[in-house]
Amino acid sequence: MKASRSAGSLVGVIALLAAAVRVLRIGMPIGRYVVEGHSMEPAYRAGDRVLVNRLAYIRWPPRVGDVVVLYDPERRSRRLLKRIAPPTDGDDGALRRWIVLGDNAADSRDSRQFGSVARRDIIGKAWRKY
Amino acid sequence: MSGLTLDSVVSRALRMVDGLSAPDVALAHCDIPCGIYDPHYAQIAALSVLRMNQLSDALELAPDLKNKPDQAKYHNSMVRYILVKEEHAEIVKREVRIIWGDYFKPEHAEKYADLHATVWNIMKLASKNKVEMNMQAAQDLLVAVQKFAEMFWDSKGTKTARVPSGQAIGGELVVPQ
Repeated sequence: MKASRSAGSLVGVIALLAAAVRVLRIGMPIGRYVVEGHSMEPAYRAGDRVLVNRLAYIRWPPRVGDVVVLYDPERRSRRLLKRIAPPTDGDDGALRRWIVLGDNAADSRDSRQFGSVARRDIIGKAWRKY
Repeated sequence: MSGLTLDSVVSRALRMVDGLSAPDVALAHCDIPCGIYDPHYAQIAALSVLRMNQLSDALELAPDLKNKPDQAKYHNSMVRYILVKEEHAEIVKREVRIIWGDYFKPEHAEKYADLHATVWNIMKLASKNKVEMNMQAAQDLLVAVQKFAEMFWDSKGTKTARVPSGQAIGGELVVPQ
């Protein structure tokens, strides 16, 4: 079938790229993530696959409403999926800290618990689901 | 072919890549239950350790070494007490470790200068309670866990009281008011 062949060659290309990236020890510009948990429902459900653009915030800072993957400030080996929320105390981002919240506030551990996050905690912007 | 968009081909390809090398996990959840921590369970587990010491103390040796049913009964009871003691000492460690690691923040550690030492002491005492049948060690464990519970509630600005456990073993529990 034509589709599976083109998918097959795409897999080949992506796998080769991934291998090259691993060998060269450079960061992949695009990361693949699978969502776990319910704090971003209904936008992102458990099991959803999402591509994350790690280069999104090189030139411009995160914007309110962006969904981002970030390091859990309380345990850096874990990564979280949250949405950038408006600054709370009227600051305009000059502090370069961001508030991240889960869409599903009743079931989310986010800036309400661990406070604002720094730019370096943010890995990238959720780009598209696949 | 209808329904075959570039999107679906890309998605399929990416999922095949996922099959070769699993994607990273992005957590969209919290500790369960969400943000709710309570040292109650640790105290109950410490009480259970104490109770197992008490029960094993009270357990009479089977008088006749040749009487198999009697011996079996004795060993069965003793092994159960030891097993439960072991389990509950581990529960104390687990519960305290979660609150210590996940709930307490650096500013708490500044405010409660002996927080880390208290937790360390609990780890040591819980292990001692696994290694030994030792009523005093069990008492010490309960006291240390009570102290930890008071620190926890104080950090949340909640007053506590010590109330009788109401259990056969006696003892007190630190509860929020």
